[in-house]
Amino acid sequence: MSSSARLGLLMLAPAAIVVALLFVAPAILTGVFSFTSMTTATGITGGAWQLTSEAMGRLRSAGLAAATVDALAAEHYRIDETTLATAADAGVAAATIEELRTRHGGETFDNRRDFERFLKGLAAKPANVAALKAAVPPFRVSIVNVRYETAAAFDAAVAGSGVALDAAARDLVGREAYTGWRWTTANYGRLAASPETLARLGRTLLYVASTILFFNVGFALVLAIATYYLPKGPGAAVRAFWLIPRVMPVVLYVMLWKWLAWDGGFLSTVLAPLGVAPRNWLLDSPVNAWIFIVLINGFIGASMGMIIFSSAIRAIPQPLFYASAVDGASTLQQVRHVILPQLRWPILFVTSYQTLSLLASFQEILLATDGGPGSSTEVWALAAYNTALNSYTGNLQYGMGATLAVVLVVVGILVSLAYLRLFNFAALVERPRIEQ
Amino acid sequence: MLKRPLLRGGLAAAALVAALGAAPVAFAKDVTVSVWAGGTSEPDHYRIDAIKIAAEQLEREAQIDGEDLKITVEGRAFNGWDEFKQAFTLAAQSGTGPNILVTGHEDIATWSQSGLIRPIENYVDFDAWPLSDLYPNLVDIASLNGTIYGVPQDAESRPFFAWIPHLKQIGWSEAQIASLPERVANGEYTLYDMLADAKKMQDAGVVEPGYGFYPRNSNGPDYWQFYTSFGGEIADPETGKLVFDRAAMQRTYKFFADAVAMGVTKKNHIGMPGDQWWHEVATGKAGFWHGGTWHFARYTGKEGNKDFFGTTQFSLIPAGDKGIGRANTLTHPLVYLVTAKGDEAEATIAARLIAIASEPRINVLHAISSAHLAISQAETTIPLYSENRWAAEATERLLATATAMPNHSQFSPYWDIYWKGLLATWTGEKTPDQAVAEAEAAVKEQLGDAIIIR
Repeated sequence: MSSSARLGLLMLAPAAIVVALLFVAPAILTGVFSFTSMTTATGITGGAWQLTSEAMGRLRSAGLAAATVDALAAEHYRIDETTLATAADAGVAAATIEELRTRHGGETFDNRRDFERFLKGLAAKPANVAALKAAVPPFRVSIVNVRYETAAAFDAAVAGSGVALDAAARDLVGREAYTGWRWTTANYGRLAASPETLARLGRTLLYVASTILFFNVGFALVLAIATYYLPKGPGAAVRAFWLIPRVMPVVLYVMLWKWLAWDGGFLSTVLAPLGVAPRNWLLDSPVNAWIFIVLINGFIGASMGMIIFSSAIRAIPQPLFYASAVDGASTLQQVRHVILPQLRWPILFVTSYQTLSLLASFQEILLATDGGPGSSTEVWALAAYNTALNSYTGNLQYGMGATLAVVLVVVGILVSLAYLRLFNFAALVERPRIEQ
Repeated sequence: MLKRPLLRGGLAAAALVAALGAAPVAFAKDVTVSVWAGGTSEPDHYRIDAIKIAAEQLEREAQIDGEDLKITVEGRAFNGWDEFKQAFTLAAQSGTGPNILVTGHEDIATWSQSGLIRPIENYVDFDAWPLSDLYPNLVDIASLNGTIYGVPQDAESRPFFAWIPHLKQIGWSEAQIASLPERVANGEYTLYDMLADAKKMQDAGVVEPGYGFYPRNSNGPDYWQFYTSFGGEIADPETGKLVFDRAAMQRTYKFFADAVAMGVTKKNHIGMPGDQWWHEVATGKAGFWHGGTWHFARYTGKEGNKDFFGTTQFSLIPAGDKGIGRANTLTHPLVYLVTAKGDEAEATIAARLIAIASEPRINVLHAISSAHLAISQAETTIPLYSENRWAAEATERLLATATAMPNHSQFSPYWDIYWKGLLATWTGEKTPDQAVAEAEAAVKEQLGDAIIIR
């Protein structure tokens, strides 16, 4: 490798690290998470083993004998030589241990509160709250509700609990007591089976297709062509005007739309003298909401296509326009036969780019309708965000959310491939014949 | 005979606590305790300030014990719940969360399973004052599997409200208005009676269309009350499993669809701006609505209603229909929780601060300034509380029959499904029957055996 190539790699290294950390790693992790049952309840980093009342319920349903479940569910504190020795190791005061050994050996208690109260009644009672709390665990001889950080500790605890379990039952208990996430393909199964899936795909298709068709490509083309035929100054002014939604902070921009649309907003006020009852135009019906969503996104998105198409039109050799004018072509015919054929490549680019960007974008919808009314504007990306990261009830389903995100990526790739075929990409990038 | 390994689980922690307990507590000299509170707006600032007051007290106590303890309390209040829960779960997973949380009791099940919180009963004595004086039902709500995880921070209940001048305008007598709470409580006046009266108000031009019945403008525990009103049960007391009651769910969905069909509730009501909602209900734009005891603070404060008792009648949430369900209200106590952050010594300090902050004189500041209810008997005898008409009447009229949401790790997915179906029927996207069928399929699929379908 030449020294300049090495230097080049070296200079690229920071960027490569950033890309790896911020983009590649999250993408890979999303793929990995999609095959897990990760939620707020399971945590991300791994689980522990704890026989809770919910786990007991699952064990009963799984067919473990009622007597066995009851035995596991019973809570006991016992004073005997083993527990006293453990207590001594744990630093419980010698006088307390002595009093327990001599006067209370063999006694058992069925819950922690009773045992704590008993300890507080001793002559050699624990000196303070911290000592009292420390004196309790050594005497616990049951495993219910105790959190064990490793499988080995839990297995040992089950073995030592005195509840007889065969190997299958031990496995079952361990499985149900585990609080963490598991590997699973169930997320994909759930998606395939859910009626929501098709509805969400339909909504996403509607969102992407209408925004691109009407604005990001359609209206952008109109703007680019119209401003081409305008005198330079006004043309530039119109283009600058259409850039405003793009440069405005999105929160502010959507807030303006909300002010326009809500009950006491501009639309309702203006229409009131005409006898139209004030209403929240944005959320009044799914159709209204969709019109606003497409407008809100389209006004932002049109500017990019406009700029690209404008520069592409300017790049068309002027003699073509002169020649068509000499041939008597009208403006419309010029657009149809000169401009549009030359814009195939930029249109492909803008369509593909905007498709991918709209597929993944949901911030405007989140701010404007939050998927409402009902879930009629909840597109796929918004559903993924709400599932994985945003829940009023705190139910964050990381695994399911990741699955939704993975599907979105797959759809994006498929759509891009389809575009490449549709626009005959191979021909577009073919070497010019003249240079062959 | 017991084997040693059995006990290893709790021993490491026990040894640490013992080390703290055997001698005078070995406090670190400078401690920073962070407190994050969800659903906390301006009137609720004592949720965090109470911990600051407690820190001063604990510093003085330590000084008398010969310790030089400096506690810095860093508070962070989150207005909403979504961003609070998102911020805490993600921060806690990466080990950068707070030491103390103020959150709804229903988070205990989820967050204890994922190991993000510690049982507070490992650090403080519930037989000692002031914890011994807490209302036992509130302590139960802060417990899971018989272990006390949190200390109740406040109590409340969620009344049904009616605007008195509007009732008069549709012909209600003073006596009828005065007896409304009682007629609601004994099931005589139902939700469907309310819809009929709301319609009367609109037809008489007393309120604008869509303002007859003006429910909460966003998701909330409130909506479980309607499920109870129509005879639903959220959890089975016997098995502790969640319960999906098909008929009650269908009636609840249908009730809101009917309200929209009658034109007394707006189809797109959910998602309207919160400030607009508050202002409208506090100034008599709506006929009937529902909220929480804490609404009193906002109605009479920021919204400027100077004659609350002259303009607003309140009762339990009525039963659904004649012979169906029961009048009820829900209490949704927030709880102080100690997170898994930091070592045992830090957790001990956090727990002690919480215990001190629960003393009646400190907690009463929050209760009265934010119009919540007392957490202990002693608190109700403090003049600031006992001389407050709202606190006294709301406690008497509502709290006795209050139910609470269950502490179950699968409750939040169930809640999400319930809400989604309700929203779909409300906006007319689905019929009540379709929505119930889909909700049933979703709970079966996601919750499996954790829920009983009736």
